[in-house]
Amino acid sequence: MTLLLGQILNGIATGMLYALMGLGLSLITGVLNIPNFAHGALFAIGAYFLVSVVGLLGNFWLGLMVAPLGVALLGLAIEWAGVRRLYSAGHDYQLLFTFGLALILNELIIVIWGPVGISHLPPALLRGGMDLGFTFYPKYRLFVMLMAGLLVVATWLFLEKTRYGAIMRAGIENKEMVSLLGIDIHRLFTAAFALGAYLAGIAGALTAPIRGLSPGMGVDMLGIAFVVVALGGLGNLLGAIAAGLLIGIAQAVVAAYWTEASTAVIFAVMAAVLLVRPQGLFGIR
Amino acid sequence: MKHPLVLVLAAVVLLPLVVRPAIATEIWIFAIFGLGLNLLLGYTGLLSFGQATFFGSAAYVAGYLLKHYGIGVFSALGVGIGVGALSALLVGYLCVQRSGLYFIMLTFALNQLFYFIAYQWTSVTGGEDGMPGIPRPPILAIDFRSPVAYYVLVSALFLLSLWVMKRVVESPLGRILQAIRENEVRAEAVGYNAPRFKLLAFVIGGAFSGFAGVLYAMLFGIVPLESIGFVFSGNVVFATLIGGSGSLYGPIIGSVVFIWLSESMSVVWARWPLLLGVAFVIVVLFLRGGVVEAFSRIWRFSKRTT
Repeated sequence: MTLLLGQILNGIATGMLYALMGLGLSLITGVLNIPNFAHGALFAIGAYFLVSVVGLLGNFWLGLMVAPLGVALLGLAIEWAGVRRLYSAGHDYQLLFTFGLALILNELIIVIWGPVGISHLPPALLRGGMDLGFTFYPKYRLFVMLMAGLLVVATWLFLEKTRYGAIMRAGIENKEMVSLLGIDIHRLFTAAFALGAYLAGIAGALTAPIRGLSPGMGVDMLGIAFVVVALGGLGNLLGAIAAGLLIGIAQAVVAAYWTEASTAVIFAVMAAVLLVRPQGLFGIR
Repeated sequence: MKHPLVLVLAAVVLLPLVVRPAIATEIWIFAIFGLGLNLLLGYTGLLSFGQATFFGSAAYVAGYLLKHYGIGVFSALGVGIGVGALSALLVGYLCVQRSGLYFIMLTFALNQLFYFIAYQWTSVTGGEDGMPGIPRPPILAIDFRSPVAYYVLVSALFLLSLWVMKRVVESPLGRILQAIRENEVRAEAVGYNAPRFKLLAFVIGGAFSGFAGVLYAMLFGIVPLESIGFVFSGNVVFATLIGGSGSLYGPIIGSVVFIWLSESMSVVWARWPLLLGVAFVIVVLFLRGGVVEAFSRIWRFSKRTT
């Protein structure tokens, strides 16, 4: 029972990270109407940036602030230099472009940081565990839950309570109407891509001390982000959280009893849900 | 319209004189794979990013039977077609109910499901090391272990596949699929059940992928884990697009260019996926429309300068 509760907590921590990934992807995909196959690579870059910044400045908190901003800048550059030119192209070309970018970023990771996995310790303040009464639980994972929760709330406040967030939601609903109202749609696209990249970057940075880093981490996360969006719906914040927690917990619980199946179960859960509800959890759009 | 077929025949005869027979064989196998994808991408307008699911599943199942039960070549190919079609039916059933970007993401996510099963089920698939020791059994006392003999077999099967696919796209079914691509709402209004026809296209495409997968396993004597991975799915999309998804022959041109390039690049540099990524980006940003378009642009440019 204690094992199961511990695993459920683990599932919530990773599930919140999945939700962040899905949320960022959902913004990019929803607003720009492109398949972003580089989203996993942005996640991996976030983790590697963190390790480099911490190595350079010796401070985890600075790294957690700077690394995702670096990824957001990268996102800005990608949108400005490439994606922008492809809005009128078909999904096939947009897919090839982002897929090509993912290959490039992934290979650059291997060239710069090496093909071997790296482990990264949490900051001194968050090492060790904490007694929760029913189990002894790593402090860092609790911090991840808190941080991811705060980020989701901040994104929600931004989308629901600010003027710019309202424009972004309108962009997901109806792009033509937004540009007819005299809003610079290209700036909106750039902002959405950068924000989505930021969320992927910070999810990567937060993940680094839990699972360590390896060049393959981006691709694994890409599939998961797709699952979250497919189940939660484009631009649906609650959907992303529900889908992220669902697959995070399912994965953690299965990992306790049948480790080999713990990754496949994410996609199996998606298939099972789609079998019953072809339109996803909430059936929006 | 006799010309393209004559060209393909000439290419089949001439190719092994230009490149090694193994690479020439791989090119036609990849072309069969591309023909299957193009029924979805070019004719039905469905961008599947999970074709390796069917290619790899068929290669594993038929490879296992070839290795442990000593079945013949034609039984193996039959098994491959069956497994390819069945896995495409399962995946397609979940995907055709969603459209656009959701569809693309679902094909990728389900590809990952099959990939991780192959990755973890090491007792059967060999996991990361792949499933080695796939034999190439003789047919009627003809030994296919020589690369040239196998090339002849594969190119004959490729021509057969091309003929079958030509019949499919020119049949009423092919017309209905194109109608769905052009205007799904209208096709539905005329009385065609669009999801069912999309599923049918998926199953036929899956059968072609499975067929190609088994030939691939017999070519290299191994089912590598990559054969069921997303990079393979991406490669076939790329090959089809550079050849031009608008015609029946596009994926064939694309396979020649893509396999020849990747085989010559991968021996030069271990980090060749980096070059591949750069190639994707350049093609998309500057050479949309494929190789044919690129050549005609260069042609126009050289005419203008002289």
